[in-house]
Amino acid sequence: MENIYIEGSHTNFFIPTVDFNAETGVCVLSGESFLEDTIEFYDPLVQWLEEYTSEIKKPITFEIKLTYFNTSTSRSILDLLNILKEYEDEGGEVTVNWHYDEDDIDMEEDIEDYMLDTGLEINMIPFDEED
Amino acid sequence: MNTIDKKLSLGQSLFSEEIRISYKGPVDGKIITFLADYIYVVNELSEKATRKIFKIFFELAENISKYSSEKIKLKSGKEVGAGTIILKETVKNFILVTGNPIKNEDLIPVIENSKNINNLGHEELREYKRAVRKDDSVVRNSPNIGLIAVALTSGNPLDIEINPIDEETSYFSIAVKVDK
Repeated sequence: MENIYIEGSHTNFFIPTVDFNAETGVCVLSGESFLEDTIEFYDPLVQWLEEYTSEIKKPITFEIKLTYFNTSTSRSILDLLNILKEYEDEGGEVTVNWHYDEDDIDMEEDIEDYMLDTGLEINMIPFDEED
Repeated sequence: MNTIDKKLSLGQSLFSEEIRISYKGPVDGKIITFLADYIYVVNELSEKATRKIFKIFFELAENISKYSSEKIKLKSGKEVGAGTIILKETVKNFILVTGNPIKNEDLIPVIENSKNINNLGHEELREYKRAVRKDDSVVRNSPNIGLIAVALTSGNPLDIEINPIDEETSYFSIAVKVDK
């Protein structure tokens, strides 16, 4: 199974950095997400995760380090987390770590809402933006 | 000065000190990201408020881009919505105001949704956002989830104003306040 690596950029749109590694099971989504076509960008990530959880079946660690995402992206994140929850329910080993600025109360609430929506345990890891 | 001009602070007050950003024209990804970055340039004193304005700005600007009935064709051939974006600063708040013409048929659900949003408390809004986000029929092509996110981030009511242009079109403007 191929890895996915997309270098993030901050130009006409905000493209997040994607680093999904099939050998280690570590998947990182970081940066900012404001895209011209959200579905076109996230569908391959959804498909990759579906393939990993149905064929590779090894532990997976999902690291989210997004400082901004728009509401269109928020639905795609929900789709990714739902796949992880389904995998966990089937016996898969899943860890989700969500890194966020400790002063960003809105992001903190967003993560809590994702936990309610998916039933997935998400480790909330605050960081100090000054660091 | 008519009500639209007052809301958008056009006319005499355009160059007053309280206006931090003023833009009128096509709203595509390039201008959205440029202005979003510029929000951090003009508001470097209040990190918390600036982050909120940044998030609200994206949602409102995207709504102009997608739903404005005034379309402008770019060099690339792509058509994008056009409108006005103003960021004002008062002693206590920042106020982000956007305006654009909109087809009346697109306007009715926006008005109803805005009224609904303004009647909900913070926790109810979070529940509403979660319900809309899960709903496949509305989430991808609706300005509504964006407005819910705007209200949640702002913590203040959405100030909507509608001015009829003709039988088919109205001028829609929205002002969103962010406390400093």
